[in-house]
Amino acid sequence: MANALLIQILNGLVYGGLLFIVSVGLVLIFGLRRVVNFAHGSLFMIGAYVGFSIATVAGFWAGLVGAAVVLAVAGALLDVTVFRPLRRQDPITTVLVTFGLLLILEDLAHTVWGKETRSLPLPEMLSGSVDILGEPFPAYRLLVIAVAAAVGIGLALWLRFSRVGLFVRASSVDPVTTAVQGVNTDRVSALVVAVGTALAGLSGTIAAPLLALSPSMGGSILIESFIVVVVGGLGSFSGALIAALAIGQIHNLGIIYVPWAATMIPFLLMVAVLVWRPTGFAGSHV
Amino acid sequence: MTRTNSLKLRALGAASALALSFTLPALAQAQEVLKIGVPTAMSGTYADLGNQAKRAIEFAIAEANAKGGVAGHKVEAKILDTEAKPDLARKQSERLALEGYKVLTGVIASGEALAIAPMLDRWDALYVATVTKSDKITGDSCVRRAFRVNHQDAQDAAVVKPWLAGRKEQKWAIIGMDGAWGRGSGAGFKEAATAHGKTVVAELYPPLGATDYAAYIQQIKASGAEGLWVALAGRDAVSFATQAHQFGLLANVFTAGVSFVTDNTVQAMGETAKGIHGIINYSSTLDTPENKSFAAAWAKHYNGDQPSNFEGETYLGMQVIFQAVEKAKSVKPIDIARAMSGGSFETILGKLAFRPEDNQLILPNYFGHVAEADGKLRPVVTMSFPAEQATPAPTGACKLQKL
Repeated sequence: MANALLIQILNGLVYGGLLFIVSVGLVLIFGLRRVVNFAHGSLFMIGAYVGFSIATVAGFWAGLVGAAVVLAVAGALLDVTVFRPLRRQDPITTVLVTFGLLLILEDLAHTVWGKETRSLPLPEMLSGSVDILGEPFPAYRLLVIAVAAAVGIGLALWLRFSRVGLFVRASSVDPVTTAVQGVNTDRVSALVVAVGTALAGLSGTIAAPLLALSPSMGGSILIESFIVVVVGGLGSFSGALIAALAIGQIHNLGIIYVPWAATMIPFLLMVAVLVWRPTGFAGSHV
Repeated sequence: MTRTNSLKLRALGAASALALSFTLPALAQAQEVLKIGVPTAMSGTYADLGNQAKRAIEFAIAEANAKGGVAGHKVEAKILDTEAKPDLARKQSERLALEGYKVLTGVIASGEALAIAPMLDRWDALYVATVTKSDKITGDSCVRRAFRVNHQDAQDAAVVKPWLAGRKEQKWAIIGMDGAWGRGSGAGFKEAATAHGKTVVAELYPPLGATDYAAYIQQIKASGAEGLWVALAGRDAVSFATQAHQFGLLANVFTAGVSFVTDNTVQAMGETAKGIHGIINYSSTLDTPENKSFAAAWAKHYNGDQPSNFEGETYLGMQVIFQAVEKAKSVKPIDIARAMSGGSFETILGKLAFRPEDNQLILPNYFGHVAEADGKLRPVVTMSFPAEQATPAPTGACKLQKL
């Protein structure tokens, strides 16, 4: 019984970790550009396909790095061509544009990779399982946890201790004053959007060996990521971490103990947060 | 020009105008287009299934138009995306019907079909089910303008029973999509299992388009099940199989299902699918002359592809629609429905008839497992059940109004 519970908690950690990588990208972009990026789920999907294409030629690890790099470039372009020109527009305009991008990216995937479902095999060295208290647990799932932890620690160090990290934090609090102090906020934004979309690409490839690849695969994870971002506090890095881990556990334990309400609980949590603590777990600080 | 000549000319003009006014409607009638409305899943979890429906419908139409149409009527189709969502399916079907595309087919999810059926009379439309399996469609929710050419859950359950009798596994788990089809299939399997003295130790219904199946897989393992019945389709089928394989579930628990290992999902699952059993509703390898010539024509049209199970079933639906139009000598939905009701039709699976009580086509059914065939993994038929054996008697739940 205790073993089974431990395995379920680990499973929750895997799902929470994946949600964290996706939603922290959203958080970074929102923090700097004040943009709710509806295209993020499609960028996750494109990341999965790019990773899949590179992995079939050059192996899984090349796919993982390649997807992050390709998506980072796409992110920088997205910032320069879409977010920057639209920054003085009504935020709803940008939201609608990102929604349009979502549709375009799905169509692009239809055209390039076709409609049939595909799947990416596990990397050879992680295809086995590890014994955890006598229960076999897929080794690959432990990698997902490790990557999420690495992303979390890496981002925390970058934002806390690097000079660019300081600029990012400053711009997310007050972009105008930061610019007046001599920081090139446009360049900081391009960098942050690039990092955010790179994380979408990375998470897409990380998720690819677990999921069937199809052009609409980003839909449900985008919704759950929005819940994470709202519950954690829009624009809050630590809030996203706590919320993602919480929703990962709630998701898994809900399926087991209250299956009839499992899909509803994250939404109920979001409603509760919006009613009683609209700024989210962590308020609105990076 | 003399006066008489001018009069003659006028008379001639009037006569030709009169002649035209008689011939025009006649011509128009002969050329009235048969408009097929296709509210199907072009995106979402079932996008791959929707794409198969689309391919089959487009193939059937190209074939018919190449022969000069159906009873002289050119055939056209319009496809609208429903994302497999019932409310959107109803909206899109209404749009299609209002634009004149009143012969509806190609719907994927049972919930969508159940949302469309009650509206058919109001729209003056007709619906031919080719993929949707819920018993309700030809059961307690049946309507006079809805017909089903594919297998309903009860027909699938009828072949599960004799197959299950030969299985040694005593304890079974069920996992199905949380919707009309998944729950219907689960209930049918449970009934068949208990009829053979087997026990069902877990029943799990994940939502459509779920991402992480770990919690479900863990519960199946914990339940001590020796066998597993799966009613997940499309992207869900591939995601579940991939994750279940990684957890070692498929290696330890005997697995079978419906719409789970299909021609297309097996391609995506790869080696993972090997040895999984399942109902096969249609296979391009079925050895009838009609099916062989269909598969050959299909391969010619689609670069050497073989028609998949859903493509075969959807094509069968188009055959029935076309023959009903020929019989009715009309493209009016109500006339086509009258021609379909209780009628029999030449199909790729031989001559098949609709049951007049509930508009369900009586079909043979098949069972098999995933194995290597012609150097490729695919579902291979190992048991065949003729139409009489594969069809349970109607339950009486369906009360059809007169057409």
